Amino acid sequence: MNLFRSEEHLVRWLGGRKRGETISVAKLSEVAHAWLADRFSPRWRPRSVEESQAIFDRLGLTGDFWRLA
Amino acid sequence: MLGGEAASSGRGVILSSMETADLVTRNVTYGLFLAFGHAPTADSVARALGKTRDDVEAAWRRLEDEHVLVLEPRTPEIRMANPLSAVPSAYRVKAAGRWWYANCAWDAFGVCAALQVDGRIEASCPDCGEAIAVEVRDGRPDAESLLFHCLVPAAQWWDDIVFS
Repeated sequence: MNLFRSEEHLVRWLGGRKRGETISVAKLSEVAHAWLADRFSPRWRPRSVEESQAIFDRLGLTGDFWRLA
Repeated sequence: MLGGEAASSGRGVILSSMETADLVTRNVTYGLFLAFGHAPTADSVARALGKTRDDVEAAWRRLEDEHVLVLEPRTPEIRMANPLSAVPSAYRVKAAGRWWYANCAWDAFGVCAALQVDGRIEASCPDCGEAIAVEVRDGRPDAESLLFHCLVPAAQWWDDIVFS
């Protein structure tokens, strides 16, 4: 899970390997905040797969690649 | 990136399988990580809990099974307490007056999110090695031209979480 300067840099780095999925840094920040905002809270509780999947769905990360199970 | 959500399906299953005492151990482990600025040892967590080192190591292994923590493969030491990395990584985050290592780009933003503060992420482009810096203010990054790439499909992240 890496940051690249641009699509051109990603393609060169992949060197013909199958690519995964890309999202903007703005979307990444949005997802990370939704995913991890409670992580340091003493009230943190584990999420179910379904709850985590709902976060992806809400933020538009849909499709087979983003299916957790 | 993940943590505690992919090991089982259904909230009831997870909550019944994660002992309350393990949740306390998890919270103390995270609390000491934040207080120290680095991963705590099993001994330091044991002292904080009034338990033995063996108790803590056993709890950590159960928490790892639940994808709450990641331990080093051969020693009972913390490798990941997502989003924090216990070892130097390619993603450094300045937040809350301290530098942290994150496990990946996702977790770098997650450090700011979990601390609930603004921050600065520093990394380098895996292709060319040029430095990358992102300021995060109110959850929004200032570097819109950058691209995040996730190589491994989500269902396979925990097959090898360190690689993912």
